[in-house]
Amino acid sequence: MKRWPSILLLVVILVALALLPQFVNAYWLRIATGALMWAGLACSWNIIGGYAGYIDFGHSAFFGIGAYATAILMGGSFGWPFAATVPVGLVAAALVAAVIGGPTLRLRGAYFAIATWAFAEMLLQLVNVLEITGGTGGLSLPPFLDENFFYFTMLAAVALTYGVTWLLFERSRFGYKVKALRDHEAAAESMGINTSLVKLQAFALSAVLAALFGSIFAYWVTFINPKSVLGGDITDQMVVMVLLGGLGSFWGPALGGVALFLINRLIWMNFGDTAFYIAILGAAIILVVLFLPEGIAGLFTRRGKPGNSLLRQSLARLVGRGGRA
Amino acid sequence: MDLLLQTLANGILIGGVVATFAIGFQLTFGVLHVIDFAVGAWVILGGYLAYFMSSLLGVDGFLALPVAFVLFGTLGYLIGPIIYRVRNSRTARPELMALALTFGLFTLLRGGMLTFWGFNTRSVDTALSGGSLMIGPVAVPMLRVVAFAFAMAAAAALFFMLYRTRYGLAIRATAENRETAGLMGVDVHRLSATVYGIYAGLTAMAGVLMGAIYSVNPEIGLRYTLFAFFIAVLAGLGSVGGAILAALFLGIIEAVVATYWGSAYSHLAIFATLYLVLLVAPKGILGRGL
Repeated sequence: MKRWPSILLLVVILVALALLPQFVNAYWLRIATGALMWAGLACSWNIIGGYAGYIDFGHSAFFGIGAYATAILMGGSFGWPFAATVPVGLVAAALVAAVIGGPTLRLRGAYFAIATWAFAEMLLQLVNVLEITGGTGGLSLPPFLDENFFYFTMLAAVALTYGVTWLLFERSRFGYKVKALRDHEAAAESMGINTSLVKLQAFALSAVLAALFGSIFAYWVTFINPKSVLGGDITDQMVVMVLLGGLGSFWGPALGGVALFLINRLIWMNFGDTAFYIAILGAAIILVVLFLPEGIAGLFTRRGKPGNSLLRQSLARLVGRGGRA
Repeated sequence: MDLLLQTLANGILIGGVVATFAIGFQLTFGVLHVIDFAVGAWVILGGYLAYFMSSLLGVDGFLALPVAFVLFGTLGYLIGPIIYRVRNSRTARPELMALALTFGLFTLLRGGMLTFWGFNTRSVDTALSGGSLMIGPVAVPMLRVVAFAFAMAAAAALFFMLYRTRYGLAIRATAENRETAGLMGVDVHRLSATVYGIYAGLTAMAGVLMGAIYSVNPEIGLRYTLFAFFIAVLAGLGSVGGAILAALFLGIIEAVVATYWGSAYSHLAIFATLYLVLLVAPKGILGRGL
C-alpha cells in the first residue's frame, strides 16, 4: 500500500506530459522534446555507468550511429520510411557495443573508459572523411515538420527507456546480477554469475537505447553533421547529467537531464552558442564529484544523523579533517 | 625509399616528445591510481604559455620551457591532493569518481581556453623555426631534433631521479604498494602531490615543444590525451619503461599513416592498434615495468 503515492505521482506526471502540447507554443514544445531526449540519453548512460559501474566516455558514438543510420537510409539513394530505419540503427549499435565491449569489459574500468573514448574519436574522424556520411558537410533528411509527432515519439521512447530500466534493473534478477558485479566482481562471479556476459548485455542495452534517441533526433532536426551527433560534448553532457542526478539511481538521470538541459537552453538564449558552456560542464563535474558524489537523488535518500549535514561530510571528505574522511 | 626514411625520422622525433608526457602519465597512474584525462589540457596550456611569451614579450618560445615547468608544476602540486582525496574517499566508487574528476578538469580547462582564447590556431616562434638538418638523404627540421633531444634529456633526468635517488625509491615503492610504503615512513599524500606536480610540469614542457613544432589550439588537446592513452594501453598501465618504446612506436604509426594515407586516418590507425592490443595482450605487449 505504501507504493500508491509514487504510482499516483507517476500517473500525474504522465498525464501532464501527454497534455503538454495543448498548453504551450511550438517553441516551448521543442524545448520540452529536447529535455525528454536528454532525460532518456542520461538514463541510457546510467545503465552502463551507474548500474554496471563502467564509465563510458564514448557514448556519443551510439547516439551518432543511430542518427547516421536513419539519415543515410532515409536519404536520396535509399528513401526508406523512418520506422524502418530505426531497427537498423539499434542493431548496428548493439553489434558495435559487442565488438568494443567484448575485450574491454573483462579488464579494469580504466581500459573500458579509454577504449570507448578512443572509439568515439575514431568514429568522428571516420565520418568526417567517408562519402556515404557526407563528410564534414553532413546529411539532410526529408523534412517532416510536425512538432507534436516528435514530442510524442520522444515521450514514447523515454517511457520505454525508463520502463525497461525499471523492469530490468529494479525488478528482476538481471538487475541484481549487474549491481552485484559492480559492487564486488569476484564475489559475483563466485555466486555463479557470468559477469562478462552480464556486463556485455548491459552495455549493449545502453548502446541500443542511445541509438534509438539518435534516430529520432536525426529525423527531428532534419540535418545532421559529425559534430552535432558524434561530438564529444554529447558524451560530456550525459556524464554530467547522470553525476548531477545521481550515479546509479533510477530517477537521478531524469532529474539531472532535465535540469542541465534547461540550464543549457537558458545560457543559449542569453549568450548564444558559447564555449563558456563547456567550462561550466567541466566545473559542474568537478563540483558534483567533490561535494555531491551521490547527486541530487542522494539528497533525498540519505538519512544522516542530525548535525552531520551533507555539506559538512563533503568538506570533511575534501580536506580530511575529522569525520569519517 | 627516401620518403620512408624521412617519415620514420619525423615519427621517431615526435614520438620522443610524446614520451615525456607519457612517462609522467604512467607515473601518475602508478602512484595515484588515476587515469588523467587532463593530460591533453596540460600539453595545450604549455603551448599557449610559449605562444604568449613569444608574441607578447617577444622572447624565444623555448624560454617558456622552465617557466612552464615551474608554473604548471606548482598548479599540479596544488591539484594533486584533491585528486588523491577523491581517489581515496569513502564514496561508493572512488575509482570512477576520480576518473570523472580528471575528466571534469579536462573539460573545464578546454572550455576555459576556448572561452578566453577562441578556436584560432596559434603558432610559436623560436630561433630554430625553419632550419633543417641533413642526415644523408633525409632532411629533418632542426626544431624537431632539438625538441627530441630536450625531451630525451628530460626523460633521462626523470629516470635518474626514479632509479638513483632515495626520493625516486620512495616513488617506486609507493607505486608498488601504497600501504607498505606508508608504513615504511613515506608520506604518501605529499608524495602523490609532488608526483602530480612533476607530471603536470613535464607535460606542459612537452606542450611548449609541441607548440613550436606544430601549433596550438584548445581542441587539439584531445589528440594528446588519445596519445597518452594509446601508450598506456600498449605499454601496460603504469609501466614507465615501456612508455618510451610505445611512444616511439606511436610516432612512427602516426607519421606513416599521415604520409601514405592522409592524416584523417591517423585516429583510425591508432584505435585499430589499440583495439588489437586489448584483444591480444590486454596487460600491454611490453609488460608491467616500474
